[in-house]
Amino acid sequence: MTRKLLLFSVLFLAVLSLTGCMEWDYDNDTENFDTAGSGLFICNEGNFQYGNATLSYYNPATNQVLNEVFFRANGMKLGDVAQSMSIYDNKGWIVVNNSHVIFAIDINTFKEAGRIENLTSPRYIHFINENKAYVTQLWDNRIFIVNPEKYEITGYIRVPDMTMESGSTEQMVQYGKYVYCNCWSYQNRIIKIDTETDQVVGELKVGIQPTSLVLDKYNKMWTVTDGGYEGSPYGYEAPSLYRIDAESFTIEKQWKFKLGAAPSEVQLNGARDKLYWIDDDIWCMDVTADRIPARPFLEYRDTKYYGLTVNPANGEVYVADAIDYQQQGMIYRYSPEGKLIDEFYVGITPGAFCWK
Amino acid sequence: MIMKKTVLAIMALGLAIQAVAQTSPRANNLREVVVWGRRPMKDIGVQKTTFDSIALKENIALSMADILTFNSSVFVKSYGRATLSTVAFRGTSPSHTQVTWNGMRINNPMLGMTDFSTIPSYFIDQASLLHGTSSVNEAGGGLGGLVKLGTTPDVARGINLQYVQGIGSFSTFDEFARFTYGSEHWHISSRIVYSSSPNDYKYINHDKKVNIYDDDKNIIGQYHPTERNRSGAYKDFHALQEVYYNTTKGDRFGLNAWYINSNRELPMLTTDYGNERNFENRQREHTFRSVLSWDHLRHNLKIAAKGGYIYTWMAYDYRREVSENNWSTMTRSRSRVNTFFGQAEGEYNPTEKWYLTANVSAHQHLVRSEDKNIILQDGDKAIVGYDKGRIELSGSASAKWQPVNPLGLSLVVRQEMFGNTWAPLIPAFFIDGLLSRKGNLMLKASVSRNHKFPTLNDLYFLPGGNPDLKSEHGWTYDAGASFDTGGTKPFPFSIGGSLTWFDSRIDDWIIWLPTTKGFFSPRNVKKVHAYGIEGKLNVAFEPFKGWIFDLNGSYSWTPSINEGEKMSPADQSPGKQLPYVPKHSASLTGRLTWRSWSFLYKWAYYSERFTMSSNDYTITGHLPKYYMSNISLEKALSFKPVDLQLKLAVNNLFNEDYLSVLSRPMPGINFEFFIGITPKFGNKKR
Repeated sequence: MTRKLLLFSVLFLAVLSLTGCMEWDYDNDTENFDTAGSGLFICNEGNFQYGNATLSYYNPATNQVLNEVFFRANGMKLGDVAQSMSIYDNKGWIVVNNSHVIFAIDINTFKEAGRIENLTSPRYIHFINENKAYVTQLWDNRIFIVNPEKYEITGYIRVPDMTMESGSTEQMVQYGKYVYCNCWSYQNRIIKIDTETDQVVGELKVGIQPTSLVLDKYNKMWTVTDGGYEGSPYGYEAPSLYRIDAESFTIEKQWKFKLGAAPSEVQLNGARDKLYWIDDDIWCMDVTADRIPARPFLEYRDTKYYGLTVNPANGEVYVADAIDYQQQGMIYRYSPEGKLIDEFYVGITPGAFCWK
Repeated sequence: MIMKKTVLAIMALGLAIQAVAQTSPRANNLREVVVWGRRPMKDIGVQKTTFDSIALKENIALSMADILTFNSSVFVKSYGRATLSTVAFRGTSPSHTQVTWNGMRINNPMLGMTDFSTIPSYFIDQASLLHGTSSVNEAGGGLGGLVKLGTTPDVARGINLQYVQGIGSFSTFDEFARFTYGSEHWHISSRIVYSSSPNDYKYINHDKKVNIYDDDKNIIGQYHPTERNRSGAYKDFHALQEVYYNTTKGDRFGLNAWYINSNRELPMLTTDYGNERNFENRQREHTFRSVLSWDHLRHNLKIAAKGGYIYTWMAYDYRREVSENNWSTMTRSRSRVNTFFGQAEGEYNPTEKWYLTANVSAHQHLVRSEDKNIILQDGDKAIVGYDKGRIELSGSASAKWQPVNPLGLSLVVRQEMFGNTWAPLIPAFFIDGLLSRKGNLMLKASVSRNHKFPTLNDLYFLPGGNPDLKSEHGWTYDAGASFDTGGTKPFPFSIGGSLTWFDSRIDDWIIWLPTTKGFFSPRNVKKVHAYGIEGKLNVAFEPFKGWIFDLNGSYSWTPSINEGEKMSPADQSPGKQLPYVPKHSASLTGRLTWRSWSFLYKWAYYSERFTMSSNDYTITGHLPKYYMSNISLEKALSFKPVDLQLKLAVNNLFNEDYLSVLSRPMPGINFEFFIGITPKFGNKKR
């Protein structure tokens, strides 16, 4: 009997030893950053539906990179798909697409200053003044009007001829009292919004799926279409780069790429006189040029470049490599002449940049 | 000829503890059970895990995902309670697990995988896992293995009824009813299950903080909120009708028809700042699966034929309220799958030493997938999706040979054609040998090549489908030993176990990657080396008269390494463990029975899972290991008109705060009480 009791005791203890707690990495400790001076924010989208977006910060003067700064400063995650970031009123506004939120952070300490919640699927924010900003959306036919001071949704701009299901408004630029916005997913137009009435007052058809939009020093807007995809009922065509006069809201020039190309991410340098974009390679041309250069600015490096920016202060070019989209992406920093200066790992799927 | 040897043992504890689904009374006595002196030739060299009816019929609230979590060491990736749960063997992906139900493959032809959370364990009478190479005996494409599910005609004589009600935490209601009729020729069974819950369990949201503001909207404090699982309600209805007719002259006919009506919300992420009242995220499914079968048995010959049909309609709706009571659809996706199935097989035992089998099967899938409604450039409306069909043919022949009693050899050759593409021949070779009769010590080894065709979404999904994809393919080897023994001193006991080493290399692994056009597209990119060890141990003993103790444990060590080329100069993933594949997993169930009482302890463990291919220890780069413990206490009562079964189950006993997948909250401790009522209609014989 003693032997049996001993055996039972051993078994009971063995079972108890199998219990334990999951060792969370999370705690409430937060770090105090002070990053005065200029720098570069990198929005790492993370993976859709996994809530693993992060924010990185890079100081070009010291080549120092800080990863996961939002989490480290605030003790909480940034969210699901960090789409874009803008700076206004000394705050960084991070648009977290599938978390339905925009976080405002102090641009030096990265501490949260406030948040705008319950957005549909926010993509970009554009500030009209201290009391008004526009937030574009995917899967919504409305651009949201928000009050950045009160962190509130105050109204909507309804986009004509657009349903919720195929709704897509993207990047915004402002010329005078008008904001222009490219409509991307299953769309083919640039819309014009009167910021005084918050109404869409015009639209301009371009090619299929304009991906991005910038405004150069001569008040010419630039957009590049991706042409859709093979089999799309919306159409499939050769992508194009467009130069659009903001004043007359008309297309001035169109450059066609070959069918199947996937140009994206038009960007400008600080002087807004040089245009950059991704099309496997990194391309660059003067905004006054009539022809696309024969050779790229940077050649393709056996990977798909996912993000692009130019330092407005010195013209250095930063390119994001998402690698397999499941690991820390790499940022390559090039001189204005295309010489590699630095490279550093950031978070998963680095897609958008914001200069401080 | 099968030699039988009887020994006193308690390996058939399953016979002693009748699950509530069964109608015969309990018996806790040790039984004389049959130990096969010679193993079935069909299983020569096969690595198999079989689940007994106790595990399958533990309680009506369990899905097959729960059964596999606690009774095997395969990896069950769960996105939440009553939410998508997939199963992966030996470091492979869920689409590398083939699943059959009564001989018919039920993997979703669009996705390749199977959601085990939608398979109630009470609808399954027989379940087994065929690991790695062994899956080739049943189907091709199981690079990790195969889950074999089935029902049996085994019902008690006469009319029998059973009703079980479960009431649990989070307003969960589970109901099960079964009617059976058995006679010499006819066996009829009707079962229904209905489960519903708002599923709004509480959890601490570590991913989020709630702000405390002053009057000027300045943040003056923050805290991690205790939230409820938002948008997680479900209502699942299942009905299963079976009719079997046995001529008693060697022919048996069967009809199995299973209908599912599932309506589930998809829970919001922990990082979602949307208001749950303004969003609806819902998945609905109607699935009908049916199999008509004929089995013809002679003393050394079995011929069988099956015909089957599967219809699946799935709807996914993502909507938001744009103004009060005005909802607009953001995503409206619909898919319809019709699958026609036919199979013929034969087994022939010409001499004692030879066993021959042949099998041909065909699955014809017709798929219509509608993913998005759009407005065209000219203002017309259109749907983004695809409408495709694919025939999938598979044929195999095998010869099993036992030149001498301890030694068995088996050769299987399988050929498959999907669409108009033939896969290279799939050969598999198995060998086993009984090393020692004492302890039934047996050695097994096998090798096979295998191919897995891309799914229909891989090929045709719009946007992103890649019709140029190649099959995933590779070689798998395994070898192991098993034993089974028992005795009576110091008390009656039985003990059995196995240890298996496996090694597989898979080339052209398919993964979906984002494109610069904003959508994902699949590519053949990785070369994976998955290897490791699987172990199982079963112990049962009777330490005191009437007390029966039964322990079943399993463990897997599964490195699954990306051995592909670098995707870019900065790629850090080669040489690293695949994301979401734990290196270690284990499970244990312990059951103690005394008279009409039964106590069950279940435990599962998964080691840390990396969420990044580079295996970085960033804040979201890995999910910590976790242990899960469930218990239940059951009491059977027998009255003249009815048998009653009362059961209390406690899940997540230690209120573990854990995640299986990033941003998907899991429930803490929760309870469910079950009452089973089995009316007695006179004497019954099984």
